[in-house]
Amino acid sequence: MLRHLIFLGLSVAALAGAFAQRAPSDWWAPNDVRTFERQTDYANDTGIVRTLLAGAPMETVGHPFFTPLGPNGRACITCHQPASAMGLSTDTIRERWETTKGKDPLFATIDGSNCPTLKQDDPKSHSLLLERGLIRIERDWPVKDAAGRAVKPDFKLEVVRDPTGCNSGEWGPGGKKGKVSVYRRPRPVSNLKYLVAIGFAFDPKDGMPLDIDPETGKPSNSNLLADARAYTLQAQARDAMRTHLGVENAIDAAKVQQIVDFELRLSTAQASDRRGGPLDAAGAQGGPMTLETSQPGQLGSQGRAVWSEFEAWEKLPASLTGEQREFRESVARGAKVFREKTFLITDSAGINSPIGFGNPVRNSCVFCHNMSQMGNDVAPGQVDLGTTTQPFADPAPHLPLFRVTCLGAPHPHYGKVIYTSDPGFAMTTGKCADVGKITLQSMRGLAARAPYFSNGSAKTLMDVVNFYDRRYHIGYSEKEKQDLVNLMSVL
Amino acid sequence: MRRRLALLLAVLAASPANAQAAGETVRFISCPIYRDVDAGRKSGCWLADERESGRRFDIGNAPTKPDWNHEVLVEGKVSSAPDACGGVVLEPVRVSVLPGACTRQMMPAESFKGRAFVLPERNVRPVAVPRPAPQPPFTERSFFLLYDFNRDFLVYQLDDYLLDQAVTYIRGVRPKRIVVTGFAATTPASVSGRKIAEDAAVAKSRAQSVTEALVRMGVDPKIVETKWQGAAAPAAAPGADGLVEASRRRVEIRVFPK
Repeated sequence: MLRHLIFLGLSVAALAGAFAQRAPSDWWAPNDVRTFERQTDYANDTGIVRTLLAGAPMETVGHPFFTPLGPNGRACITCHQPASAMGLSTDTIRERWETTKGKDPLFATIDGSNCPTLKQDDPKSHSLLLERGLIRIERDWPVKDAAGRAVKPDFKLEVVRDPTGCNSGEWGPGGKKGKVSVYRRPRPVSNLKYLVAIGFAFDPKDGMPLDIDPETGKPSNSNLLADARAYTLQAQARDAMRTHLGVENAIDAAKVQQIVDFELRLSTAQASDRRGGPLDAAGAQGGPMTLETSQPGQLGSQGRAVWSEFEAWEKLPASLTGEQREFRESVARGAKVFREKTFLITDSAGINSPIGFGNPVRNSCVFCHNMSQMGNDVAPGQVDLGTTTQPFADPAPHLPLFRVTCLGAPHPHYGKVIYTSDPGFAMTTGKCADVGKITLQSMRGLAARAPYFSNGSAKTLMDVVNFYDRRYHIGYSEKEKQDLVNLMSVL
Repeated sequence: MRRRLALLLAVLAASPANAQAAGETVRFISCPIYRDVDAGRKSGCWLADERESGRRFDIGNAPTKPDWNHEVLVEGKVSSAPDACGGVVLEPVRVSVLPGACTRQMMPAESFKGRAFVLPERNVRPVAVPRPAPQPPFTERSFFLLYDFNRDFLVYQLDDYLLDQAVTYIRGVRPKRIVVTGFAATTPASVSGRKIAEDAAVAKSRAQSVTEALVRMGVDPKIVETKWQGAAAPAAAPGADGLVEASRRRVEIRVFPK
């Protein structure tokens, strides 16, 4: 409880010992009596993650983000913890299991276990959450789009493998519930002005102007949630209330708006690093303040280059020596590698099709991670990297495997039949061509919320880099890999 | 020996198979070749051989780039631009990705430098950038969107720009009526020894998607009439850049001021 307060105003060096362990008090439980301060800091393995709350500090008691709104005892805060950059790390999850003997509402039957049909007091029944940080997500089958309209899919879905039991029988797509269970990492609830920003009116991946949210009549950039199933933060909050909090009664629109207003006040980033020191030192502009004060929705290639926050560390004063210098130089190199090292991007729907960039197309990480300050996609960011889809995905025997058969035109890169552990965006559009597309991840606060990718397949940031290196035959040197890891650890 | 070789090269260069006349229009189907030149982002070269003549063309200036797994329909004009990729440059040029399969072919850069990416003139500005408002008197105007063969997908950095122009005019004019007409090139044509024709249905899907696009951009659907037709004749569509066959594959947005 006191730990986040302790960090305020104190130097990293003075607190070096605090990096070694994580106290259970890092956990914010629903109904805790707390003040969400202007600045909240937490230690992680490589430094300190900081969340800024725009405006005055806020008492959490009674606020709907911090209050269980349904019967399972969960609140939004349960899966969006300040110590985990407003997301959830497996370290945090495992601590919570140990502290509460698995009784915390985080492990709620409905989606905090591999399947509600399993014995709930057995940690094996929660293995996907405990080991991979994965929450069970139910999607409608047949498909409903982001506006809740029924969509006739242009593909057939069959279950090849069902290790959790939640895609079979009553719980599966063929059951009376008509659901498909996929397993995904919670996305951080911070820096959201960047995720809802409209940079351009046209979605080049869809070949159409941005879709209109029927509720508000406004365009949506569809950068919320892995499968873009919610057009707005309000819709996301309602979806979470129904599915994760178990709210069955009518949802109070005022509470939804309170949640959204709070979320939009948050900016989160790593603020200091053990080796590199404060991330806004020596001319750098790391940390959440830059996020809070910058205009969202800007394309890095036409304005402020992505991760140029660390440009000043390309030329450090001679007086800086040792580990700190080496680390800062590595971060600056990592930013340049991220922007400038090009490679051939192949067979990735959302990049190589249907938009006419070509297959292959030579570009760098910022081709997709193109928004200044944030590294998300200015356009709707649904792309198939292959993290969930064979043959590119890593083996995942713990996850279900679906066989998708395209009923009309074949998928532009996989052909008629696709094997995937998560059809992703296709579960929102009903389009075979969208199978495997997952909305780009937020890149901020990464050090605080391992593992990575939507299915938690990368346990470390090095695993992320290695996946890309394998997938696109990039040929990073070991030094480049470490530079990229160091960069991502300070975002 | 060296003189003989030079003579041979000169003869080859002048032979009909290798002759190019700037401005000549070509239209052929082939498999694309990717030359992996690294001159920065989006800098790889795209080439395609016209099998009938044996000529190799640089088709990289097309708004739509090839997919190395599929055949391409190439339509372009021979340009006198310098060879940076290992082929005669086509400019303007349009590439349509066809369903037919191709064997992937990637060549190394060899001695070719390629071309650094330059943002095309037809690019849409961010929403925050104000568009110049159209000035009265407002007249009936037509805007044309152009398509790849048998597709209804609005081409990036071509159609998005053209659509933005149309919408800017519509927002300024606040018209009483808009007629959206989709066209498809359904009349069979002989290209590279095969008959090709667009599906009649694509005229409808083009028209409907453009109407949907206008509505998404804030146009009142009640003032939009949507029509379609096959057997499209060529049109003087600026986005086609004088490519007659490409101009058949279009949607016309006719704006009638009050």
